[in-house]
Amino acid sequence: MKRILYSIAALLLVSAKLPAEEPNTNEVRRSCCIAAAAPAEPLTDKSLYQISSSWTNDAGQAIQLSSLRGRPQIVVMFFASCQLTCPLIVSQVKQFEATLPEETRAKIGFTLVSFDSIRDTQDALKNYRAGHSLSGDNWTLLNGSPDGVLDLAAVLGVKFKQDAQGQFSHSNLITLLNSDGEIVQQFAGLNLNKEQLGVEIEKLIKD
Amino acid sequence: MLKHVQIIFLAAIAAIAAWTAVACAAEPPPTGMVRIPAGVYRPFFRAANDAKEISVKSFALDALPVTTRDFLEFVRAHPQWQRSGVKHLFADDSYLKNWAGDLEPGTNAPLDAPVTFVSWFAARAYAESQGKRLPTVAEWEYAAQASSTRADGENDAAFKREVLQWYSTAAPLKLGAVGRGPKNFYGAADLHGLVWEWVLDFNTAMVTGDSRGDGGIDAQYFCGAGAQGAQDLDNFPAFMRYGFRSSLKADYCVHNLGFRCAKDL
Repeated sequence: MKRILYSIAALLLVSAKLPAEEPNTNEVRRSCCIAAAAPAEPLTDKSLYQISSSWTNDAGQAIQLSSLRGRPQIVVMFFASCQLTCPLIVSQVKQFEATLPEETRAKIGFTLVSFDSIRDTQDALKNYRAGHSLSGDNWTLLNGSPDGVLDLAAVLGVKFKQDAQGQFSHSNLITLLNSDGEIVQQFAGLNLNKEQLGVEIEKLIKD
Repeated sequence: MLKHVQIIFLAAIAAIAAWTAVACAAEPPPTGMVRIPAGVYRPFFRAANDAKEISVKSFALDALPVTTRDFLEFVRAHPQWQRSGVKHLFADDSYLKNWAGDLEPGTNAPLDAPVTFVSWFAARAYAESQGKRLPTVAEWEYAAQASSTRADGENDAAFKREVLQWYSTAAPLKLGAVGRGPKNFYGAADLHGLVWEWVLDFNTAMVTGDSRGDGGIDAQYFCGAGAQGAQDLDNFPAFMRYGFRSSLKADYCVHNLGFRCAKDL
């Protein structure tokens, strides 16, 4: 009898502690901004790769944006279930890629970063890659935390908002980064100026 | 035996009491913060597919904007946020421009005045250092619609007039101290009347160019943003804030833009 009562009391005490711990479960907001001590050459003052949030690619690897360092990148924020402008933008970038000579293509990267932290899982991104025949060599598809997406959108100047149906309204912006992750040029709207982008890339590769 | 049972019984009662206290009673907000009860925020502007109402969970909000004194303490502990140390990805050239030096605010930045010339990134980093975060647009607007006597300030004509008065006055170069304005219904002050404030999701406001109407939106630059519309044409201050936020970039540091922090409860 005594033992039973003791265990009831113990249970009550345990349950008494539970509610106080609950608020920790929505600990989503993680660090922004300052990257840990950078390896080798420090990142430049304007490098986007100073954003320290962690991302997952469609192969399921956890990566930092700084791993994109080393070659110019063309960056687009998108979401896989977008029926409106994202497919248009991605196809423009793909068309642009097709115009490049093989040696140029090998020296640059294309990065698609999803707004949709929840639905654009590794598998969703993998399907997107297959569906749009994006080559494995130089296309990187990334999913991040809501905070990471907010940070990246902020440095890119991309505005976005999720509506009640879960669709995202967003800026249509294609950004060219140099190999250090600094913004070289941004192309707004749906008509990508492929000639100009090509000229800028050639300049970056020569440097 | 009986005594034991009694003790255990009392312990159990105490435990239940403690549990209910934690679970049911409103937890007092952290020092310097006020509790904003759960409620509903009706966005001022929304697109056709946006929710008419956004439910806001109860949260804690700083009673006052972050002051120069608070921020000085922060930059002392985090040299990467001192004026000479800040990375320009995270703050433009105007960062803490009114300070005399890295650790000397000087006469143009009174210690009791709200800190301004801070970027969104700096505001976030400060909040994070306090174990807090920036409020969302919905949270900020929801808390700011309260007048000093009622939660629904939109039905308080005098309050609306005062707020409008402030929005039509230019900010002085040297800002006054925080806490002089009236406390609102929840106990927070200076949400209007002193400085504009950063919010976590400032970059969800989508207006380009001419923000007097949605005719300024060039549809090809935005996806699905063509159908923005105002819900309450009478609410000019909300319109101003919307337009102001849409003009900001995360590295901007502006003379009349400060912030306060929020926290989940």
